[in-house]
Amino acid sequence: MTPAQIEAYVDAAAAALQLPLSPAHRPGVLSYFAMAADMAALVGAQTLTMADDPAEAFVPIAPAGPART
Amino acid sequence: MNVDELLRGDAAEIAAAARRGAVGVAALVQASLARIGATDARVNAFTDVTAQRALQTAAALDARLAVGDTTAHALPLLGVPFAVKNLFDIAGLTTLVGSKIERDRPAATHDALLVARLQAAGAVLVGALNMDEYAYGFTTENSHEGACHNPHDLSRIAGGSSGGSAAAIAAAQVPITLGSDTNGSIRVPASLCGIFGLKPTYGRLPRHGSYPFVASLDHLGPFARSARDLALVYDALQGFDARDPACVARPIEATADTLAFGVRGLRIATLGGYFAEHAGPDARAAVARVAQALDATRVVELPEVARARAAAFVISNAEGGALHLPDLRTRADDFDPLSRDRFLAGALLPAAWVQRAQCVRRWFALRAAELFGEVDVLLAPATPVVAPTIGTDWLEINGRRLPARPSLGLLTQPISCIGLPVCAVPVWGVHAALPIGVQVIAAPWREDLALRVAHRLQMLGVAAAPVAAL
Repeated sequence: MTPAQIEAYVDAAAAALQLPLSPAHRPGVLSYFAMAADMAALVGAQTLTMADDPAEAFVPIAPAGPART
Repeated sequence: MNVDELLRGDAAEIAAAARRGAVGVAALVQASLARIGATDARVNAFTDVTAQRALQTAAALDARLAVGDTTAHALPLLGVPFAVKNLFDIAGLTTLVGSKIERDRPAATHDALLVARLQAAGAVLVGALNMDEYAYGFTTENSHEGACHNPHDLSRIAGGSSGGSAAAIAAAQVPITLGSDTNGSIRVPASLCGIFGLKPTYGRLPRHGSYPFVASLDHLGPFARSARDLALVYDALQGFDARDPACVARPIEATADTLAFGVRGLRIATLGGYFAEHAGPDARAAVARVAQALDATRVVELPEVARARAAAFVISNAEGGALHLPDLRTRADDFDPLSRDRFLAGALLPAAWVQRAQCVRRWFALRAAELFGEVDVLLAPATPVVAPTIGTDWLEINGRRLPARPSLGLLTQPISCIGLPVCAVPVWGVHAALPIGVQVIAAPWREDLALRVAHRLQMLGVAAAPVAAL
């Protein structure tokens, strides 16, 4: 992402999330978002296939108490 | 040996002394409280001291011993003072999590599960410990509580985010502590303060009653002055609990009795590539010393380590930001300036980045599993450098200028990203005055191997955790 794209995205996403960014915080937020974007670019450049599942796996939760037979 | 000397030793010795009646539990607790009182104005490891509770617990244990209570007599951590990072619930105290915001919350009504388990093993809680706000940092330069100082050089950081947990042991305030590790928060302070630390396998220890940072990556674990103590404490902490959705239902796999098995037959290799490139000369020398002592000549590599580190970074940033979104919306100025803007940025990350990071994480875990088909234990530096001076903004690592605070976790993040168990062992002598840690990494669920290697290194005199000359 270019600096201009980051500024546009951060301002739009913050507005959509109703997350006010004060003028004092905004430069730091842009800087850290740019760092995260660099990390995301590294992650995004890894070759993956549809077989590469995400690490998270949901485990269903059975009701408490004895099972009905 | 008097009680102050005992307190400078390891927990196993302390419990043995209490068991044979050489010292009372109350005397041990009073000595710990006195040491905290004498040193903590300089170290700033503690944010709360639970003196009344500790003395009451000690008196109750002494009373049980006096009437010949064999159950009390057999407790593995009998009379051992301990303290916990202030993200663990302590009944009657507000769980601060290093923050100003949480000070407004009501006190915890119960102890965290792991606090209760240590107490059930005979240990005595004496307080809560300083940390980076909401565990998002590697330095414990906490703006609300003040920086935690490294007991081996008070001008330097203790590391973080569990800085108080490592510093309290280096200062001989307590022999064992608990901390948390999401991206390196046990291993970084253990390295910088010269303490042993264990980050177990992700999902091994239940987190019920502790404040989260990144549920996908959060681990809890112990710090100690010896590998033997780590094993004793870790054994007391084990046991499935369904209240933590990440906790895996495995049987307790005790390790303390396996330390004597040694390292013969273990296939041990050093991690090269990324781990050498991002380590300074002291860190590389420490790994070389450990490898030489273990006669480990093989060097192996994991692929795409930088991408795994990046995946952990993205997941942490997004989950941490989302967790604190309500407070970020309404009271951002109450966050620590060192973490606030990172949390704000993290709350805005696109979902696609996070999902991709989770896929890369699993891809990397599969590559690590392949490597563990050939080796049993991997060695890597724990931090790129020894403890920097408090307030350091930039590090020079192998000719590259890097931001200091995130870069202290460069070498730990790729490993916790895939939940491998790691014992951080402290090495002295490669730097003129300060320790630096080496990660002893095993395959998932093989904490026993990491602890066996750590214990062997301590027996060889290669790893040690001396008390700081305060």
